[in-house]
Amino acid sequence: MLKKSILAGLALSLAFAAPAFAGDYPSKPITVIVPSKAGGSTDRTARMLTETIKKQNPGFEFVIKDIHGSGGQKGFEEIARARPDGYTIGMVFTPQLVAHIVSKRARYTLDSFHVIANVAQDPGIVAVPKNSKIKNLADLAKAAKAGQLTVAVNGIGSDDFLAAKNFEAKAGVTFNLLPTKGSTEQKAGILGGHFDAAFMNLSQMIAQHRAGDARIIALLADKRDENAPNIPTSKEQGYEVYMTATRGIVAPAKVDKAILAKLDAVAGKALASDAFKAAAKKGNIYLKPMSGPDYLAYLKQLQADTQAVYDKAPW
Amino acid sequence: MFSHVMAVLQPYSILTIIIGTVAGVAIGGMPGLTATMAVGLLVPFTYTMDPALGLMLLGGIYCGAMYGGSIPAILLNTPGTPAAVATAIEGFPMSRKGKAGLALKVSVIASFTGGVFSVFILLLFAPMLARQALHFGPPENFLLALMGLAGIVSIADENSSLIKALIAGLLGMIIAIVGTDDMSGSLRYTMGYVELVDGINFMPALIGLFSMIQMLELAGLRRTHKIDMSALHKKQKSEPLPKGIFKFIALGAGTGTVIGVLPGEGATIAAFISYNVSKRISKLKELFGKGNPEGIAAAEAGNNGCVGGSLVPTLTLGIPGNSVAAALMGAFIIQGMIPGPDLFTQYADKTYPFILSMFIANGVFLIVGLTVAPYLARIALIPPAIMVPVVATFAVLGSYALNNAIFDVYMMIAFAGFGLILKKLGYSLEALILGLILGPIAEGGFSQGMIMGKGSPWIFFESGIAKVMWVLIILLLVPPLYSYWKNVAMVKAPPKEALDDLDSLNEPE
Repeated sequence: MLKKSILAGLALSLAFAAPAFAGDYPSKPITVIVPSKAGGSTDRTARMLTETIKKQNPGFEFVIKDIHGSGGQKGFEEIARARPDGYTIGMVFTPQLVAHIVSKRARYTLDSFHVIANVAQDPGIVAVPKNSKIKNLADLAKAAKAGQLTVAVNGIGSDDFLAAKNFEAKAGVTFNLLPTKGSTEQKAGILGGHFDAAFMNLSQMIAQHRAGDARIIALLADKRDENAPNIPTSKEQGYEVYMTATRGIVAPAKVDKAILAKLDAVAGKALASDAFKAAAKKGNIYLKPMSGPDYLAYLKQLQADTQAVYDKAPW
Repeated sequence: MFSHVMAVLQPYSILTIIIGTVAGVAIGGMPGLTATMAVGLLVPFTYTMDPALGLMLLGGIYCGAMYGGSIPAILLNTPGTPAAVATAIEGFPMSRKGKAGLALKVSVIASFTGGVFSVFILLLFAPMLARQALHFGPPENFLLALMGLAGIVSIADENSSLIKALIAGLLGMIIAIVGTDDMSGSLRYTMGYVELVDGINFMPALIGLFSMIQMLELAGLRRTHKIDMSALHKKQKSEPLPKGIFKFIALGAGTGTVIGVLPGEGATIAAFISYNVSKRISKLKELFGKGNPEGIAAAEAGNNGCVGGSLVPTLTLGIPGNSVAAALMGAFIIQGMIPGPDLFTQYADKTYPFILSMFIANGVFLIVGLTVAPYLARIALIPPAIMVPVVATFAVLGSYALNNAIFDVYMMIAFAGFGLILKKLGYSLEALILGLILGPIAEGGFSQGMIMGKGSPWIFFESGIAKVMWVLIILLLVPPLYSYWKNVAMVKAPPKEALDDLDSLNEPE
């Protein structure tokens, strides 16, 4: 009896707590969970976006909460299990978001989230030391066939790793893969000539490429990037190996529909604004606005692709 | 260059630097709050600030926090940052002898010298040094970690329990296995805890092993230990620095700067290596571990030397020298200043004032340190009945504050309990910490080296740098092993009292 009344009471209180009426939303600051380090690119993206939303929509206030570590898993889980009242939303990034699901570590699925939008991306690249004889992807494949190449990727299950595995399959080669702890080690190894090549992201190496300290031989995309128009794509070079690290914004799935619609709208408006575009350009963030449904479709496809790699060689 | 100097000497700039440095000292002085965290948290706030001022603020915090870590290390045996562990080994025994004031003075002067030296190097030789640092690859990183680990043997030779020190060091490395295996991506002994995916957090471990154990021991004393207060009553100024201390400061400053320049290495390893080397060359070897100011001098000059050093590859190549420098790099990028040659040409009007401001930051903490040291030194006199609960509270808060995670508090308590048992059994906790901190660095360098060498360990002997490092490692290892062997062979280890005897200090080298 007692148990029952407690349960009933809980149910009641939940019922009263949940309906934050969409009409007066938001009546308090919204917490944005950033599953990464303060000052990192995901953090900067979140701050720029929320700053723009705040300016465009009086009444919206945000608090950024950085939960770093475990490749974002801790933060993703916190977004998924946050109280669905619309006052906790968060950033996600790929492929880690789906990689944790595929490797059966995550305590969430894609269904745990309502996908608001994708904001930015950091396209994959292949970099080699500046004196390397490898000038393009064909050279890379040829050299890999002739002898084992030491190729650095940023950790197992990362976007670099998946891209390298994909290239191995498409080119029919096997690399001597060297996982590093963070892109810093990759940079140091390429600049110092310790590695033959590295699969990385554009923002991590673009400055070194421009300064002539390293060479980016391919952008892993089907179209050239406006931030680096002279870097040839993998498609141009005949290898359909594409990889990009996206950074999107999501809310817990069970949030009231009307609130979600409001969030979708303000985010969409901010993404389209010139002020946001200017801030992103200054902060070395590459924008790739995608609507919620588009981004969800992208995430589902990415999860299927990652699953295929995982099934062949689990980590 | 003149205009850059003037930019730093503006009243606003000076005020910003002072605020940053003092805040840095305070943050570094709190167990659990590290320089990385402070800089990381403040980077977003500099977004809306004037770029030059924002960078000066962060630079001040970096310099201040590196020094600040030594204060609780000396007074409470609680390293404020992992880099201050070696300082605690020497500083706390000095506090117990009533020499806290001198220890603090040595630490601030050494920190200042190390810091200023490294900023000079950064200002004058950054591009050239950065190129040299690139020769350092994973195999050399492994050897550097080995050099640090050689300290375990040195810890042993004074307690003459080599086996126990080695076991403790090994235990540390075993504990450090927990977490993700970077080479395969698989999880090792995380037992389903997401909190353990990145491995054991150093700070809760340090707080548990140092401050908490210290407090447990104090609370467990039958009688309160009398601290010699007479030394404190003497005027601070009248206490001269120990003779020949500058040799050790210079050693630390040099080691710290060099190690700081290497990408990915940190202040902790710099402090330990300069501490260990100074122990080898000191004439007062026997005093090490019992309160030798030379150890403090080397360790503190070492970890502050890392400040300028770590910025060398960060600013010139965009490769952060350590985690604080990585956070600082975020501050540059957010202002649209991408590290690389551009910083010294296009953005020279912001980069040079930033570098120059760190001279002032070092000066600020020198003044702060010298002025408040005599008052701070009195903390060592607080009776245990007050000290124990206060420090224990700070230990819990500090562990929690790191990630806002209660898990870290349990971790800290577990380490305190486990460490207390080890300590009572005569195992060295310093060796355990060395293993815990350096184990993962050694593992990373070793496994990456083996992959680069395609399975052949020969790669660890290939480069010229590697060969030199092997010689250094042997030089660090042989003397303590030899003296240990001599002690064992003679089976008449000198009684402990003999160590305090002055005669025994004058042994030939």
